[in-house]
Amino acid sequence: MLTEFGRVLIFFIIGAVFVAGGLVTAWLIRPNRPYPSKLTTYECGEVPIGDTRVRFNIRFYVIALIFLIFDVEVVFLFPWALVYSQLGWFAFVEMVIFIVILFVGYAYVWRKGDLDWDRPAPKIPTFEKGVGVREDHLLEEQVVGS
Amino acid sequence: MIEQLLSDLSFFKPELTLVVTFLTAILTDLVFRRSPVVVAAVCLAGFALTGIFILGQNGEEALIFGNMLTVDAFAVFFKVLITLSAILVLVFSLSSAELNTPGRSLGEYYSLLVALTLGMILMAGATNLLMIYLAIELSSMTSYILTGYTREAPDSSEASLKYVIYGGLSSGIMLYGISILYGLTGTLDLYQLNQVLATGDINDFTLLIAGVFTMVGFGYKISAVPFHFWTPDVYEGAPITITAFLSVASKAAGFAVFIRFLKVAFVDAGAGEVAGGFWTMLQGFDWPLMVAIVSVLTMTLGNLVALWQDNMKRLLAYSSIAHAGYLLMGVVVMGNEGTAAVLIYFIAYLFMNLGAFYVVMLIANKTGSEDVEDYRGLAARAPFLSLSLSLFLISLTGLPPTVGFIGKLYLFAALLNSGWIWLAVVGGINTVISLYYYVKVFRNMYLREDEEKKGRIEVGAAQLATLVVLLVPIILFFFYFPPIVEFAQASIRIFGTP
Repeated sequence: MLTEFGRVLIFFIIGAVFVAGGLVTAWLIRPNRPYPSKLTTYECGEVPIGDTRVRFNIRFYVIALIFLIFDVEVVFLFPWALVYSQLGWFAFVEMVIFIVILFVGYAYVWRKGDLDWDRPAPKIPTFEKGVGVREDHLLEEQVVGS
Repeated sequence: MIEQLLSDLSFFKPELTLVVTFLTAILTDLVFRRSPVVVAAVCLAGFALTGIFILGQNGEEALIFGNMLTVDAFAVFFKVLITLSAILVLVFSLSSAELNTPGRSLGEYYSLLVALTLGMILMAGATNLLMIYLAIELSSMTSYILTGYTREAPDSSEASLKYVIYGGLSSGIMLYGISILYGLTGTLDLYQLNQVLATGDINDFTLLIAGVFTMVGFGYKISAVPFHFWTPDVYEGAPITITAFLSVASKAAGFAVFIRFLKVAFVDAGAGEVAGGFWTMLQGFDWPLMVAIVSVLTMTLGNLVALWQDNMKRLLAYSSIAHAGYLLMGVVVMGNEGTAAVLIYFIAYLFMNLGAFYVVMLIANKTGSEDVEDYRGLAARAPFLSLSLSLFLISLTGLPPTVGFIGKLYLFAALLNSGWIWLAVVGGINTVISLYYYVKVFRNMYLREDEEKKGRIEVGAAQLATLVVLLVPIILFFFYFPPIVEFAQASIRIFGTP
């Protein structure tokens, strides 16, 4: 009656019930005393500034892509090294071709300047009135709450 | 095992040549940064060598790399077609004002063109669903980049982004369809797939879903309705050379992989030769009806929407959607005659569509405009260009004395011989509709005056020569068509099928 996929389905159902059950039980029995600093994002004791959705530099993406290619190279090199003694010259030539192709890509990236990390000139902060004031109302509430 | 791989490599020369050309082109670009012409020369030489190797494969038949790829007459035909259009597009690119602007490095453009060609050539020979998917992805990825190559133009970037989104979605759906097929049959190899399907021990409904989903990927490549939404924007935004290449080679590769998929996986391999060359389709999925519906939708929508277009590239984009519909009529027949008609039509389509885009590019080079309204009085300003464009458009309509007529003739003959009368009627009505928007261009060129009386448009000797190379087959193959018909009829042979 029960196929193998039926067991998987039962596993999924039990998993879902387990998660939902835990959350619902906690919601029923836990005390509910919110205050502003408890509701803010936890950031190692710092007062959170701004949104988490900031723009990242596109270079991180380029570096990640290049890293991925060489990561894959290593993945291919390990099994090759293990069976190298059995395969001999054929495997050697093949791996040299593979690495040369990757090397062309590396030379390309280098020459096109995608590895240059030109940093913007540092901005030295100057004192301005009203900048750098701590948001003391949050701290006060924290004291009251605890 | 290794000996097998090494001997298979001898059937893989065209693709290997393209890989080497690609790498050489990248390195040449790094060395000769300032002169992309050198890179273009390297790529042209690579294409020529590839072409020679492909012609050398004529008559060979083999399955290579563990049934991943095949070399047969059918693959060779499409490889020739794709390489020829790649060479022509490369030549077009040399004189494109849109691409050759100061400050743009074209080296990458040429090397990506090689990569795109490689993807399409792999599509022509793939016999494993995984290989088909990989080849489609290779050609799609490079198409996305090339579409957005003139990135300072907003519509180019927009086109590229839309292309990525539609491409990503449809390849995802296709992959899902492939995974269902794998789940049903336990194999990705088209030949083994056929054997499992022939046992008939398959759930019809699941097969229907898998078939439709896989069809999404092919439909997207050949821009068949309802998977065509990317086509107008991409064709309008991309550089004209890339538009021309996508409209011919990409479509050819899509048809190659689609016909091979149908014939290898869904035709009863045990049925043997049937009178009239019709294929004995396996039960379970009504491919002919499904393709016929898509074909009718594609050509009707393409032609009706083309009526309202006032941008030449967009008009040709919808016209190319309509042509995908005509070509699908040949697939509907599911027989040797229909396939041969598709191949004949593709030979005609190669010259007429590339030619039309080339003239549009030459005119845009000088006037900077692709609007049909700006073609007013063009006959006085550029008599030869106007005459050529007229011939290409007449050929696209399918009227004599052009090769487009021969293409349509064989398509309709195949339909009538196989009893698809209603489809032939719909196709005929569509051809009449298409005449209207092509005539709109003639009317602007010949019958309407340009109020501003702009000067003549001169083109160089090299451009004229290229144009003549495209014009000659259009006329020649109308009066002397046996060679292309024989070539197409000899090329319908697909490895391992009845």
